[in-house]
Amino acid sequence: MTAVAPAAARPGTDERMAGRHPFARLLRRPEMGALIAALAVFGYFSLTTASFLTPAGAATWLYSASLFGIMAVAVAMLMIGGEFDLSAGAMTGTTGLLVGAFTTQWGMNLWFAMLLALLIALAVGAANGLLVVKTGIPSFIVTLATFFILQGLNLAGTKLVTGQVAIQNMILVPDFEVGKAIFGSTIPVLGLDLKVSILWWIGITALASWLLLGTRYGNWIFAIGGALQSAVQTGVPVRRTRIGLFMGTAAAGWLVGMLSLFDVATVQATTGIGQEFIYIICAVVGGSLLTGGYGSAIGAALGALIYGMILQGIVFAQWDNNWLKAFLGGMLLLAVLVNLSVRRQAGVRA
Amino acid sequence: MSRIPARWAVAGTVAALTLISLTACTGQPVTGGTTGANTGTAAGADTGRTYALVVHAVPGDAFWDVVKSGAESAGALYGSTVTYQGDPDVQKQSQLIETAIAADVDGIIVSMANPDGLRGALADAAAADVPVITINSGAEDSAAVGAITHVGQGEYLAGQGAGGQLAEASATKVICVIHEAGNAGLEDRCAGAADTLDGGLSNVQVDIANIADAQNTIKSALLADPEIDGILTLNSAVGVAAAQAAAEAGSDAQIGTFDVSADVTTLINDGSILFAVDQQPYLQGYLPVTFLELFHTNGNVVGGSQPVYSGPGFVTKENADQVATYAGNGTR
Amino acid sequence: MSGGAGTTAAPILEVRGLGKSYGSVIALDDISTSVGAGEVLCVLGDNGAGKSTLLKVLAGVHPHSTGELLLDGRAIRFTGPRQALDAGIATVYQDLAVVPLMPVWRNFFLGAELTAGVGPFARLRAREMRAITHEQLHRMGIDLRDVDQPIGTLSGGERQSVAIARAIYFGARVVILDEPTSALGVKQAGVVLRYVAHARDTGLGVVFVTHNPHHAYPVGDRFLVLNRGASLGEYDRTGISVDELTRLMAGGAELESLARELERD
Repeated sequence: MTAVAPAAARPGTDERMAGRHPFARLLRRPEMGALIAALAVFGYFSLTTASFLTPAGAATWLYSASLFGIMAVAVAMLMIGGEFDLSAGAMTGTTGLLVGAFTTQWGMNLWFAMLLALLIALAVGAANGLLVVKTGIPSFIVTLATFFILQGLNLAGTKLVTGQVAIQNMILVPDFEVGKAIFGSTIPVLGLDLKVSILWWIGITALASWLLLGTRYGNWIFAIGGALQSAVQTGVPVRRTRIGLFMGTAAAGWLVGMLSLFDVATVQATTGIGQEFIYIICAVVGGSLLTGGYGSAIGAALGALIYGMILQGIVFAQWDNNWLKAFLGGMLLLAVLVNLSVRRQAGVRA
Repeated sequence: MSRIPARWAVAGTVAALTLISLTACTGQPVTGGTTGANTGTAAGADTGRTYALVVHAVPGDAFWDVVKSGAESAGALYGSTVTYQGDPDVQKQSQLIETAIAADVDGIIVSMANPDGLRGALADAAAADVPVITINSGAEDSAAVGAITHVGQGEYLAGQGAGGQLAEASATKVICVIHEAGNAGLEDRCAGAADTLDGGLSNVQVDIANIADAQNTIKSALLADPEIDGILTLNSAVGVAAAQAAAEAGSDAQIGTFDVSADVTTLINDGSILFAVDQQPYLQGYLPVTFLELFHTNGNVVGGSQPVYSGPGFVTKENADQVATYAGNGTR
Repeated sequence: MSGGAGTTAAPILEVRGLGKSYGSVIALDDISTSVGAGEVLCVLGDNGAGKSTLLKVLAGVHPHSTGELLLDGRAIRFTGPRQALDAGIATVYQDLAVVPLMPVWRNFFLGAELTAGVGPFARLRAREMRAITHEQLHRMGIDLRDVDQPIGTLSGGERQSVAIARAIYFGARVVILDEPTSALGVKQAGVVLRYVAHARDTGLGVVFVTHNPHHAYPVGDRFLVLNRGASLGEYDRTGISVDELTRLMAGGAELESLARELERD
């Protein structure tokens, strides 16, 4: 802490209070930059392509955004808590493969298989968390290791059990249709044929927002990511909260694994590899700080929305999508710069 | 039953090789040492070789797994060992080849997606007198890099065949779904298909690591242009996704895919997918091992400096069930 | 202002022959002192004297190794900061235990949030917490227009007083202040000292840890001087002057020789 020049603690005379009107207060929300960017992307593709705004078109980019969004929201919560989870992408593959192998190869009951996969995912998440909390090794390293382990297990395990590298005949599993109704169906909403995952996405975002802003867990998460030592000193149950966050991303990985499994009825052993960075990108575009302590669930959902809109918008615009990654990189940079300037405007030191 | 003696033979050969290398290391004249070695190899003079299969794909690719199965089956038949390594990065693939040369293998089977990048490593193999067979891609450069044979289907040729099938089903506006950015072989397939379709083809790119979203992107493409009446996918899982995308978009586009899987066979049977191009990857593993064995035991060189084609075979409603049985075994 | 000095009731917190070692390193040896209600105990010492170690033992961060720690006359051994907090011993660390990016009111209630409802999804009573924060700060003479501003935007003195106000509000009977004035300018330090006196007048026990005798002297009732982990004695305010205190802290003779050395030119 630096010595602060003596300043009167009286309100009216304090120049730091200048410009603190409601608009500045709104701008201070971490998701503002992402909201503006989302509106711009939406406007652009709506005007330049014919299909973007059609009900069927909107359903595709919303769906695209939903799968990234669920993970991005969970990853954002973890990032606000000051940690990373690089195993989040591979987890979507692991859980899908587990359910696929349990049911198609060993004839396990679908619901039991799903429960078992969820428990395994939570155990992996808890192991990540425990390692980080107990050893103090950066989560970047711990989860990078988990990522590689899962990647190897996904491949070797699938090959060992099925003799192939993808789950086949999932559609023949008893109760598959019921599972599809919950995780992979299409529901007509206001003329849009929405994939049910979009509803999950909205639900998860609302739940995460509520947790972050409306409960004490949210307070603890912000505190742990913002100043770990302070959180310890004020008696926040730091270990429990951090481990819970890792379990949260693992559970989200399970959910996305199920959404994907029941939608396409197959899982590749390579599923999810490389997706973890997209989740982090969405969270950062949504205003989360890489260093923790700042961010929002709605922002991460908006980040995923931007990603989904660009991903599908490029197809609608029939551009050469070899350029996709370059666009995304540019978007990321732009979003971070916008966020930075917005935060400076609002007077938050970060 | 037959495996046990083969394993003994391997053990014998390993022991013999160890002896040879030991004598070589100590610089002893090859007198007393080689007598023992000769008796060791005599039991299995034509077996116990090691071949390295070095491909340009990440481990776990459905296609390469069948290639690996083919190579291993052939290896087991001859009592030889086949090692399998892969890396999409050409520089790392080169390193894997160098490693194989250093391990003194009896032959290298390499998929040549980027011939220029592998030229140096393959020259080293030639210098070390390790016979090389190229597979899958790189037919044009096979002879130039000193390979004795190429086994594969020309990607361009296979693309032409697939395009022909779609054209026959009167498709005129086709999207070709590329699932791995920057893969020359995939681009070639699309180019071949574009050739027979008189250019009525555009490329769409998706990510193989996210099939659910790949499906979504194909759907977007169909919505963006309702006139699309054909889809060519280059991977079986993407083919399945395309069938579902077409159903969701309400499109009746004809779907052709590369590579066969159990799910693809089911979809061919119920008419959602028109055909699957079968590269018969099993042959791309099985044949090179056989050819290398023939080269070592009988001095044969197959193909007469022309590529040996492993495909394309087409799986349609007519032969789908038969192929399904084999696909279930992981050999097709 | 206060005539409370010396007229001690039963001490709230007391240590007898207390020692603390980390492995083979003895950080604190044979310390005895106490603090009661309405009393300011100043713990003085140079860097490395053992002030922080004593503070950590009192705050429950580290358990003591030898001797006794008494709370209301009963021996106790804290298992963690939470237990110390529950016993009414609040610590305001040098870094203030605030999270700069979080709003003032969330910082104020961090770790002790007011909630409505039961179970894991109990709702934060945000409106109430904002109002309480505003009121408590107002009492300390800080009038924030917006308790939603990140606490990092406040001045150092303001942040310090938020931390003290927080400790008082949460029913602290003893507040331990870790170098509260060391990072502040003269005027801001004066503000903080006023808060300390204010806290004492409301009947709080204050442990004021500092290396600055000039800040300690105006508010302190008793002074415990530490050097290299051992006590150099405990003095009543009536029994020592600020100069003597300064000399004692710096190791007496050493400072005198330094003074002579400096006088030469």
